[in-house]
Amino acid sequence: MPSEATLLDPAAGEDGGALPGVAAGPARTKIVVRALDFYYRDYHALKNVNLEIPERQITAIIGPSGCGKSTLLRVFNRIYSVYAGLEATGEVLLDGENILDQGYSLNRLRTRVGMVFQKAVPFPLSVFENVAFGLRHHIKLSRGQMEDRVEKALREAALWDEVKDKLQSSGLGLSGGQQQRLCIARAVALRPQVLLLDEPTSALDPIATGRIEQLLSDLQNDYTIVIVTHNMQQAARVSTYTAYMYLGEMVEFGATAELFTRPQRRQTEDYITGRFG
Amino acid sequence: MQSPRSLIFRRRASNVISKLLGTAATLFGLSWLIWILIVTLLNGARALSPRIFTEITPPPGSDGGLANALVGSTLMSLLGVLIGAPLGIAAGTYLAEFAERRPVWRESVRFVNDILLSAPSIVLGLFVYTIYVRQVGHFSGVAGAIALGLIVLPVVVRTTDETLRLVPNMMREAALSLGIPRWKVTVQVLYRAALPGILTGVLLGLARITGETAPLLFTALNNQFWSADLNGPTASVPVVIFQFAMSPYDAWHSLAWAGAFVVTMVVLVLSVGARAYLLKNRMDENA
Repeated sequence: MPSEATLLDPAAGEDGGALPGVAAGPARTKIVVRALDFYYRDYHALKNVNLEIPERQITAIIGPSGCGKSTLLRVFNRIYSVYAGLEATGEVLLDGENILDQGYSLNRLRTRVGMVFQKAVPFPLSVFENVAFGLRHHIKLSRGQMEDRVEKALREAALWDEVKDKLQSSGLGLSGGQQQRLCIARAVALRPQVLLLDEPTSALDPIATGRIEQLLSDLQNDYTIVIVTHNMQQAARVSTYTAYMYLGEMVEFGATAELFTRPQRRQTEDYITGRFG
Repeated sequence: MQSPRSLIFRRRASNVISKLLGTAATLFGLSWLIWILIVTLLNGARALSPRIFTEITPPPGSDGGLANALVGSTLMSLLGVLIGAPLGIAAGTYLAEFAERRPVWRESVRFVNDILLSAPSIVLGLFVYTIYVRQVGHFSGVAGAIALGLIVLPVVVRTTDETLRLVPNMMREAALSLGIPRWKVTVQVLYRAALPGILTGVLLGLARITGETAPLLFTALNNQFWSADLNGPTASVPVVIFQFAMSPYDAWHSLAWAGAFVVTMVVLVLSVGARAYLLKNRMDENA
């Protein structure tokens, strides 16, 4: 079990190199992916993926269905290992440590790397307990401290004002957009360093989507955010860096502004201009 | 090529015929159940009196009630559930949550559990007779409860397994992604999501054993007298019905009807209650 300190401290990450295709900026590299291959039993889902994800920025992963973008995201917190027959080889370095090492504790990894899923799945608990659930397992807090942490997480997720009077009612009673922000609050309550989002707005209406996107740009000051999205406009709106994947391969990675206006590869251009066939 | 008109006519006709056949088959099946219910209710209601609940089973030729049998049935059924339900919930949880990496083994256990589910209950009674009654040397309510527990077990294993598998995988992933270990995710999140289904399974198991006669014949036997000692022969309503209905005495027949009425009502209330509870929860979730 990690101590409170590791949960509270912002990451002391090591310096990464400059990003390929990106003008040297202030961003440090948070996650380095090297020669990553992924297999669903016999199916080769990720092929020799290399990628460097900058710290405290939003990185979007785009690509057509089945290109492996969600698979890549699910490697970052090793949630895939819940299922039998799935295997990742290569290296994924989080602050220089290979998280694919069997010795790397899953609990430690998942307190550092939080995840929000495509469909909001509140636990069948009260709003308060939904957020407190992860905290309770990892740290002993007094009642007051717990209330502070829950409130802070809900504020970070821009949900506090809407739920402060119904903290004890079921999380299942919230609207779809509120449920998704509850899931974000649940993830940020643990103060992770990285936040993974797997198509977090695909089930939401435009207004709820707008709120989440606004929230993400606020959160990038504190978290390294990786978002998988089907929606290219969303990637263009929220992200600083974008990765384009196709058929399990990393086709192109670069600053979002560059990738969308002057893509280096023909394939990328075909996809972002909708000429993808 | 047929004209569209005759095609539409044929489709309508076949629709009407299938509907009629389906409805007729449903009514045919239901009519027997309704017949049984009506006969039981009429005869049972006539035989019902407060003495059923206050006096014990009488000797031939005199009046009495079913109090000892009702108490025996209640105790044995509850003990049966206490034996079968925890084991069943644990095994169902194992199958749904912890056996993924051993699919052949998991499917084998499910298969064997289904066999136990459909095993003739008298065989379970004989089994308990052999491994427990013969070893202890006498019939007892405990033996009866063990036999009933063996009937509850596969029901609860199956419903627990199935309801847990209905919980979306995303909920498991969401909880695991907070760095919480699998067992805690199961107990604190998945059980809560699956609770209505699991409880329904337990209630259905209880309903099932309330009316069981065969497994008690070789285990609890019967008892004409008042006894709260589950370590000795214990009376139960189904066995009393069995014995009294076969007797030549009118007073006993009447008590058998009353017993049948009480058991039917208890089973009905348990089953309908369990299903209504499940339905209400499903609708709340979808609301």
